[in-house]
Amino acid sequence: MTMTDARLSPAPLLLVSMVPVLVNPVAAMERLDDTALSKIQGQSGITLEMELNLSADRLSYYDDGKGVHLEGMRVGSSRGDEAGAFHRVKVDIGADASLNLDYLVEDRRVEFSDIRLAGAPGVGMGGIFFDHSLQGSLRIRQGGAVGGSGYTFDTAYTMTGGRLGYRTNGNSVFLDDITMDVQALGVTLDVVGDTLQLVSPEVIGNWSVGAIRYSNEPGNYGQSYSSATGLPLPSYGGLQGHYELSSVTDIRAGGRSGEGLRLDNETIIHTASFIYLDDGNGLALRDITGDYRIHDLRLDVSEDGRGRPAVALTLGGLQGNLNIGSIEVGSSGQSFGSLNLSFLLEDQIFNGRTYRNELYLQGGGHPDAGPQGLRMATEWSLRLADLSYTEDGNRVIFSGLQSWGSGDVTVNVTRNEVRNGTRFYDGLRIGFEGLEAGYRINGLRVGSDDAPLQGGTELLLALGFYPAYEFELDGHITLGAGGASGEGLTINSDIEIRDGKAAVIAAPYDEGNGEIAQKGLWLTEMTYDGHVRDMTLDVTEEGLAIGTGESWSTMDIGNVRVGTKDHGASMGRLRIQKYQTGSTALVKPGGAGDICVGGAGSSEGACVAAGGQWETRGSEGVTIDMVQVLARAEGDDKKNALMWESNRAVDSQGRPINNTGMKLLVNDIYTSDGGDFDGDGVEDNRFGIRTDLSVDVYQTRVTKKEDGPDAQGVVGSRGDEKIMSPGSAAGYRYVANPGPGDVANRPLGFAVKADTRFKELSINNIDLIHPVGGSQTVVYGAKFQNVDIRANLTATPIP
Amino acid sequence: MIFPYAVPVLSLSLMAVLTLPARAEMAPLEDEALSKVAGQGGIYLSGDISINEMGGPVENAYFGRCDETDKKCGARFAYRLKEDGGWMVLDEIRGLFAFEGLTLRVRKIDSGFGGDGELFDRDVIELGLPDTVRFTDVHFKVAASSTARPTDPGFIQTDIFAVQMQGDVIMQGNLLVFPDGNP
Repeated sequence: MTMTDARLSPAPLLLVSMVPVLVNPVAAMERLDDTALSKIQGQSGITLEMELNLSADRLSYYDDGKGVHLEGMRVGSSRGDEAGAFHRVKVDIGADASLNLDYLVEDRRVEFSDIRLAGAPGVGMGGIFFDHSLQGSLRIRQGGAVGGSGYTFDTAYTMTGGRLGYRTNGNSVFLDDITMDVQALGVTLDVVGDTLQLVSPEVIGNWSVGAIRYSNEPGNYGQSYSSATGLPLPSYGGLQGHYELSSVTDIRAGGRSGEGLRLDNETIIHTASFIYLDDGNGLALRDITGDYRIHDLRLDVSEDGRGRPAVALTLGGLQGNLNIGSIEVGSSGQSFGSLNLSFLLEDQIFNGRTYRNELYLQGGGHPDAGPQGLRMATEWSLRLADLSYTEDGNRVIFSGLQSWGSGDVTVNVTRNEVRNGTRFYDGLRIGFEGLEAGYRINGLRVGSDDAPLQGGTELLLALGFYPAYEFELDGHITLGAGGASGEGLTINSDIEIRDGKAAVIAAPYDEGNGEIAQKGLWLTEMTYDGHVRDMTLDVTEEGLAIGTGESWSTMDIGNVRVGTKDHGASMGRLRIQKYQTGSTALVKPGGAGDICVGGAGSSEGACVAAGGQWETRGSEGVTIDMVQVLARAEGDDKKNALMWESNRAVDSQGRPINNTGMKLLVNDIYTSDGGDFDGDGVEDNRFGIRTDLSVDVYQTRVTKKEDGPDAQGVVGSRGDEKIMSPGSAAGYRYVANPGPGDVANRPLGFAVKADTRFKELSINNIDLIHPVGGSQTVVYGAKFQNVDIRANLTATPIP
Repeated sequence: MIFPYAVPVLSLSLMAVLTLPARAEMAPLEDEALSKVAGQGGIYLSGDISINEMGGPVENAYFGRCDETDKKCGARFAYRLKEDGGWMVLDEIRGLFAFEGLTLRVRKIDSGFGGDGELFDRDVIELGLPDTVRFTDVHFKVAASSTARPTDPGFIQTDIFAVQMQGDVIMQGNLLVFPDGNP
């Protein structure tokens, strides 16, 4: 059967969208129960068999006269354009007038070669293909959840040999070897007023993806092996998981304007897991539970804020909770701990502008990558979120996380080439164009959600995050298939940031009386130009391994301000340049374990005897082993250097003018192994700066530093110890001589065990640079050698 | 890169504290001034830091582990102020520092200080000094050397004096750091 053009209005499209639910239902890792099975099997009826090969040049959906076209549609076999997919359906009518379908679908491919929007000629979103074999059953009974006019469905299916791919300009990324078993019993469909209501009281499923593959061969269309070499296509790794959930979905007619669809949904995740597999080694999120409510999600064919034709997804609100009971990586069986996220996505005013949650899907992608690709005009508003991390029973909450942003995100599958003047790399390219975004955290709470808000968000700096950050972003991250060995990821990235405002130290933005200007130590008028080449991510038996072929960046901070980000007084300009080659990091579950703080000893007795304090920090936590190889300068862009400029001239608006002041330049900082030991004529530089860092959430001793009341009005004497006391007004009290019961309630903080060592770290020169007189070298070289610094530090947030 | 900023940011902020125009006040805050601190938050740091407790990572004719009596196991820092000149050296740097209660926060001073705070009326970075810093077996040598590396050809070093520190250092009060002059 062939169609050349088909037009769908919203109502038929709704029916079409239901087809997968009704015809391709659920897979059964879990078998139907006996009662359900007895009503489906063993009955006589009609058997239908067919080889289906259906194609249409274009399938169009129109909304208020605006169209989106699915071009090159085909339903057939993945074996070739001429082959059909085998379908067999056994139809029975049960004694209770139920319709029973047993079905078998072999090697079916559903594909669109491109998705285009009317009014956007010459560009498309790219093609999609979905291969699968299905075997399952479906029983349909009359009578829904609210009366006799609806329907009830019991369904179970197994999908095997699945492939789901996205293809632009001849390059594709696809999920390969998908298997899925799903069971959903008692699903009801009712019309309630103007609403089509779908209730799924229990959906149980298991799924796996054998590999996520990449192909840059135009002739290879959804095949697991390279047509050129016959070898398996490179893989990002595999996935697997399970879930058990229930949901209620309301579907109404009517978009954000005129025609369209509205969707509301409530889902409870009773249990789930998600595992990423790299050469058999897993990064596992286990014991997942949660719930979320989607409010007023609208689908329209419309235009974005700049008048570009788009498929619009606009969201009224999304609220939910997500708990991840355990995060594990590698073969040790150890866990990082657990995470909890509560979130509310909703319209909110940030910096005087209302941000919404909207996604406008358009064709084209990056303009130089070819006519096919996905462009998403994006706006988001995370009104409020709390993220908590718990390890060994100790919980820290990053409270009041907010984020906002708008701009274009592009998605292309690209290959290693220079095309139309732009450098592309093998992989899935995620591009950013004029993305204006920001986030901020109000403070920390320790122990429980209602604990007092405290400072300490600057502790996030240890993980590479600023407590608050606003920026304008351009650039890309390209995710290539294959890691340092076998499966994994290879990342190439070029990022530019303009007008950045990052907090190094940040006070709350809301102390309970409404929003206030956030005070702190700010890096403002910041630009950042960063590049990463051949960075690999692999899950290994030990943990998450990161290797970087080459990375270089320049961060130019116009002003280092104390106070607010807009009006704080400035310490001057800073420029930080970084250049590394061959750096690595290994992120492992488990923290410091049992350690001796303030002394030496491998047992509690030996530690105490040496004047130390024995601490058992548990089995969970995070350990990071880093090797940072600082390379010698290769020009002005690629080097490690620090520059501070002050006493600059100002323009007519009083803003400092760069390069008019006095500069201090610490130039060409690099590591070395201390000689040419391999005889290649170049000094070896492999050891770098090696840092082993273990972080735990752990109780710490905090003492009062002054007599009298503290900032919260809690009275104590100098030297008294702070003891958490939920019954107290401030949540704590001071104790002169804490007993064992008090010690058990010491405040929580971050305990860091670090060991940093390097063989040699050199500075080529330190110069003073006058804007007119030029540079004068004050230090002709400095060299640190044979350094091993070990630290046991505890950092506790304080109010 | 996953950790591209934190280390330089921290080191730079430390550098800024050490090198930028700054004024330090050691006087204890009055209660009135303390009351203005509410809600601004910060962190409280305690712990110990050791340098080359067992030796460093280099093992050659000069450096070794601390139980090798014929070798140096401390860290070494050399710099020169003149092109093609000799090197000033801090050698055999070792020791353990332990402290409790170093605090860090940003706060506004607009009162206290005998009336000067109201006139001052600015935000500052406050480093609350730990009451006591314990030095254990801290020592280093000051020397002059002909080469940066002790393994370089022609290496000659003259030790000038050695320093050894043991005991507690009392450090009370706050170090206040704020911008001044033209940025």
